[in-house]
Amino acid sequence: MQFFGGSEISPSPPAPTASGNNAHMMYVFNRNGVCLLYREWNRPLHTLNAQQDHKLMFGLLFSLKSLTAKMDPTNAERGNLGVPQLPGQGCSFHSFRTNTYKLSFMESPSGIKIILVTHPRTGDLRESLKYIYNLYVDYVAKNPLYTPGTPIRCELFNTNLDQYVRSIA
Amino acid sequence: MGREVSESCVDSLLTEMVSSYCDRFYANKPDLAARRIEAIGFQVGLQLSERYTMERPRFSDHLEAIKFICKDFWSELFKKQIDNLKTNHRGTFVLQDNRFRWLARMSIDPSPENGDLSQDNPLAENKAAQATSMHLYFPCGIIRGALSNLGIPCAVTADISNLPAYWGYGGGGLVVPWQRRKKKG
Repeated sequence: MQFFGGSEISPSPPAPTASGNNAHMMYVFNRNGVCLLYREWNRPLHTLNAQQDHKLMFGLLFSLKSLTAKMDPTNAERGNLGVPQLPGQGCSFHSFRTNTYKLSFMESPSGIKIILVTHPRTGDLRESLKYIYNLYVDYVAKNPLYTPGTPIRCELFNTNLDQYVRSIA
Repeated sequence: MGREVSESCVDSLLTEMVSSYCDRFYANKPDLAARRIEAIGFQVGLQLSERYTMERPRFSDHLEAIKFICKDFWSELFKKQIDNLKTNHRGTFVLQDNRFRWLARMSIDPSPENGDLSQDNPLAENKAAQATSMHLYFPCGIIRGALSNLGIPCAVTADISNLPAYWGYGGGGLVVPWQRRKKKG
């Protein structure tokens, strides 16, 4: 029986289809863990129902953020975990990658978390996530018909988001 | 006019004003709320027209005043001019703005229980029209105030001909064809 024999490189995932986006799915959470938006463009495997999936994702991110901050070898002082920070400041993870996908994460100072799952050969998506956050501010936060804290149902946001995600390499 | 204010502040203030009057002060009395909002706009229009006509001579006729509204006044308020002006030469003017700045970020709920989105859906459009119409009373008041300060008493109404349910991808912009009818009264 060979565990590590054979080809050392896992079979690469299928290239993004021409009809679909380059991204698989996207989550937006607010500070309290409410899932404001879940968009799916290309997700063949569903293991959990929607509620469990959202809770799992939120819990995962919460733990990862804590873990990465606590394990920081360069920071001498104990920062206050949970203090809102600008993206890029302090110590927070921004992506992880597996054989089959890459998950990119950004948290705004107001606690809005944006998670984008793409194929593993995607580059650094931090600027893209900032652009998506700008879209959120423009079309959701400034939409007079939107109540903060409720799931996002704004056509303009969805349209512009789809258009932008399609253009991410 | 050297001083400026953040546009986000103004947008948020207007949103909150409409929501306060409609949901709290005059909940369940949309006509009263609309009248109050329009009256606020009237006062604002009076004062704005004073500012923006400070260095100009008096307008020779009504058409000159309307053209001032379409060009200079609209540019000061909305950073663009009116796209189309029509008149019936009997006292009614129609001003058309194809992309009204204060409604540019409004969008409705595209939930599937409202039916197939690719068709015209009268129920969804009705709800959206109601929501957006409350936000139009303030600009109508501004125009009425500005014109009455220039010596033209009138009535101003606003129409939205197409809702912000626009599926165009070019440029990512929103088109709200919108007409205003003004009658001299």
